[in-house]
Amino acid sequence: MKMTEACILYMEGTNCEEETKQAFEEVGVSAELVHLKQLTGDVSKNLERNLFDYRILMIPGGWSAGDYVRAGSIFAARIKSKILKEIKEFIGNGYLVGGICTGFQVLTELGLLPGFDGAYGVPQAALTTNLNSAFQCRPVYLKHNRKCAFTQKIGVGRILQVPVAHAEGRFIFGENNQMYLEKLLDNDQVVFRYCFPSGEFAGGKFPENPNGSLFDIAGICNLEGNVLGMMPHPERVMDSIQHADWTRTQHDTGDGRIFFESIAEHLKKI
Amino acid sequence: MPKPCAKILDAVYEVNLLDLVDSELEKLSAEKSLGLSLGEMRKIQNYFIEEGRNPSDVELEALAQSWSEHCCYKSSRPILKKTVFNISAPQNICVISEDAGLVDFNSEYAYVVALESHNHPSALDPYGGAATGIGGVLRDVVCMGAKPIALIDPLFFGPLNYPEKKLSKGVKHPRYLFKGVVSGIADYGNRVGVPTVAGMVEFDESYVSNCLVNVGCVGIVKKKEIIHSRAGNVGDIYVLAGGKTGRDGIHGVTFASAELDAESEEKDIPAVQLGYAIMKEPLMHACLEANRKGLLTGMKDFGGGGLSCVSSEMAYAGGKGAVVDLDKIPLKQEGMFPWEIWVSESQERMLLSVRPVDIEKVREIFDFWDVPATIIGEVNDTKRITATYKGKIVLDMDLGFLLGGVVYERPYKLIPRNTSEPQYSIPDLSEMIHALLNSPRIGSREGIIRGYDFEVGGYTILKPMQGLVNSQTHGDAAVLKPLKESFQGLAVTADVNPLLCKHDPYWGAASAVDEVVRNLVAVNSVPHSMADCLNFGNPEKEGCLGDFVDCCEGLHFAASAYCMSFVSGNVSFYNEGAYGAIAPTPALIGIGIMPDVRNSISSDLKKEDNLLYLVGDSKHELGGSEYYRLLGLEGGRVPRTYPRETLKGMNSLLNVMDKKLVRSCHDISTGGLIVSALEMAFGGNLGLDLDLGVIPNLRTDIKLFSESNGRWLVEVGEDDAEEFESTTSAIKIGNTRKEKSLRIKDNGTDFTLPLNKLRESWDTALEME
Repeated sequence: MKMTEACILYMEGTNCEEETKQAFEEVGVSAELVHLKQLTGDVSKNLERNLFDYRILMIPGGWSAGDYVRAGSIFAARIKSKILKEIKEFIGNGYLVGGICTGFQVLTELGLLPGFDGAYGVPQAALTTNLNSAFQCRPVYLKHNRKCAFTQKIGVGRILQVPVAHAEGRFIFGENNQMYLEKLLDNDQVVFRYCFPSGEFAGGKFPENPNGSLFDIAGICNLEGNVLGMMPHPERVMDSIQHADWTRTQHDTGDGRIFFESIAEHLKKI
Repeated sequence: MPKPCAKILDAVYEVNLLDLVDSELEKLSAEKSLGLSLGEMRKIQNYFIEEGRNPSDVELEALAQSWSEHCCYKSSRPILKKTVFNISAPQNICVISEDAGLVDFNSEYAYVVALESHNHPSALDPYGGAATGIGGVLRDVVCMGAKPIALIDPLFFGPLNYPEKKLSKGVKHPRYLFKGVVSGIADYGNRVGVPTVAGMVEFDESYVSNCLVNVGCVGIVKKKEIIHSRAGNVGDIYVLAGGKTGRDGIHGVTFASAELDAESEEKDIPAVQLGYAIMKEPLMHACLEANRKGLLTGMKDFGGGGLSCVSSEMAYAGGKGAVVDLDKIPLKQEGMFPWEIWVSESQERMLLSVRPVDIEKVREIFDFWDVPATIIGEVNDTKRITATYKGKIVLDMDLGFLLGGVVYERPYKLIPRNTSEPQYSIPDLSEMIHALLNSPRIGSREGIIRGYDFEVGGYTILKPMQGLVNSQTHGDAAVLKPLKESFQGLAVTADVNPLLCKHDPYWGAASAVDEVVRNLVAVNSVPHSMADCLNFGNPEKEGCLGDFVDCCEGLHFAASAYCMSFVSGNVSFYNEGAYGAIAPTPALIGIGIMPDVRNSISSDLKKEDNLLYLVGDSKHELGGSEYYRLLGLEGGRVPRTYPRETLKGMNSLLNVMDKKLVRSCHDISTGGLIVSALEMAFGGNLGLDLDLGVIPNLRTDIKLFSESNGRWLVEVGEDDAEEFESTTSAIKIGNTRKEKSLRIKDNGTDFTLPLNKLRESWDTALEME
């Protein structure tokens, strides 16, 4: 029997799991929706799942238990109390862990991103309230800054149009913004940055940078490049007709597809 | 003096009804906030005389719920029967009779539409009221077995700049209500993961003391998985799934069936329910999964009237009876009275009817989703509803009596409106164009729309904002692609112009239908069905009921002509407060069918040097127009609806769209031709050169600002012009251009306005902060 490759992790409030699963399947990666309870053993035996049976753990968008506290914090707290060590080992073995939107918030909350000095369990950065303090559902342009396990097929410097939909997406380090940013850059951990359609970086300008993120950061990876978090939703633009401007601008396919194709390619190698 | 109530049990009382005289009956209704009239109290008295006993307080409360206007439509039903229910359309599977209407989508699937009002709760608690409104309409769709795929929110407020000091006691400022409602919808809608794809926001002074929050939902269901809101078989088990029952939402329906007043803030706040999106999301998943696996024989959501209405109505609809054990209901707080448990409208609850053999399987599903599911009763063949508490019967009534309800043929009067043409001098047209764009009724809704997740799920193909990224404009309708395996789509829009309805309820209502048709056609869909939410003042006032009758007849006229029936609806009366009744507001949502979503047409201009055409006739129809409102003018002729003309325009447009001759299309509504043309220009960031000389026999201001129905603007490429002209009766009124400005020429008039200034007026009309 062929193993299911992608574990799409959800809990109450997660709401992008279906389209994320579909995105994997469209590029030939088998995927299963797995409730967090199934990994933590809080279900009957027949429903239990083992993380090491998969090769990518993906945390999709949504609201973890409503996010009434801080985005991603409840989801992260539940992971931390039961399976954080397992996830760390999973990552250490070279498997992939990805987070989109809330998923990025969860990975940051867990300290897996940026994951400086191999530390984890304590957040080193935060995805905080958008600068205009409003939820933003809009298309943005992303410039691909470096290749990682999730973006091998995307040329460096390529511009993608991908939508965001969040209220808390402003990446910051807090008091030591500049110092940690330099570290992030020295480590080459910035994967996607918000930009103009021309490719010029947004420079913090709204709405090109929809949340006021430091250094126009939209997505980062860990040092090894096998953990990635990003605020925009590539799973929402798998086909050309999902783009915000498809009735006027030619898209051969959805700009999010190449992201999932890259993952598929990488999974063949591990 | 009547005898005091006798104790049946701790917390249950026998109410001495049999001996009361009329004045005492009235007093009892008032004291217990039952909202029942003297005639209704007498009817209840007679029933219990025949039963040979006094009612319990639980029974009296149950009657107050079921006989409220909100639950039984006692004032509107006879009128609706003759009008909006009286339209037949072959595409309907099951309409009106249940929580949501079912309509054919393709051979395997049906779509479901529901539209509800949540007006009074939102006037007191805008954030919570709006959120629970969404929760309710989602459950209406889920309880048909359907997966909710879109939310639609028509909203109506007083002017945002309304002077603070003019507000009377207990009335909240429109700005506070507006912000609360919009964030309530966003926070709840975004959390449950259903995209909010369409809606509308209107402003009028008549909504100052009573804002309107209507919430609609569209769902999709496999026909073989459709489930009904009725008890299945004798011996089936009633399972209550979802949240606990509390003291929130007590008397919600009786509160919805009375006018708001200065004391509402104090006395009615318990009537407002509290929502919890993170219970709703798994509740929906669990209910749909149990249904998909064939484990349910019936399902209904807890709405107005709470357990009382849902348990009785399910039994009655199935031709059965039921017994419910109140001790089994999980409660939020200790010490709730049995009557409170029976009528509480606490959110996030569903009632399931389950065969005893399937109980364990149902329980496993709900356990997995961490949603409580509790056995609370059983279906029997008594045709009565019975409730027990601590082993004693505290309610036992004939379902026919409880739910047969009461119907009134209330008197009404048609109030004549001023239709004489006002005298005025033509204002500066450039200034007027800016004033229209800057009107809160017309200006950009982008600030609201982007606060809603309109594309979660990834199937919103045509989004509410359309055009060039970061220069987007209003679309006519959103287009959804509900099935992974098919390109067939649904177009969704929401429409009504309350100003037209205020000036002429009949033609205002007919215009709403016309606008639904225009919006659906503009994106290249075939108009298919509608849902209505009829918001009016107090039906016991003859003038108000006259407006209601007039609107219903207007809806009937136009909908019949377009063969579009109302598959679901809601009537909300008593929308009045310190400033009198609201403008008659028949809010509509329209659904169109699209054979292939890849043929969607958006509203943004696509390219310079294309041609712009006008489909349909412009007439001297400025009654209720935004132009007249800004000039402070009364009277005038409200736009008429000419279905034959509109249908001709519709068929020719759908034809040229199929031939791929149309680059963009937008309907003409509030603000007239010029607002529509500019919205198209904004979306493409392109200029326009208009020559209105070709429009016959009208003064320039009328050509620009008339809100005549049956019209669209269409952008066509130069190469396609000949074919386009030969197949439509559209007239060419100008062309698009690279230069970013608007030029208008007409018999001696010739002026040019820069596009960025126009856009600025439009962008800043609705300041969100």
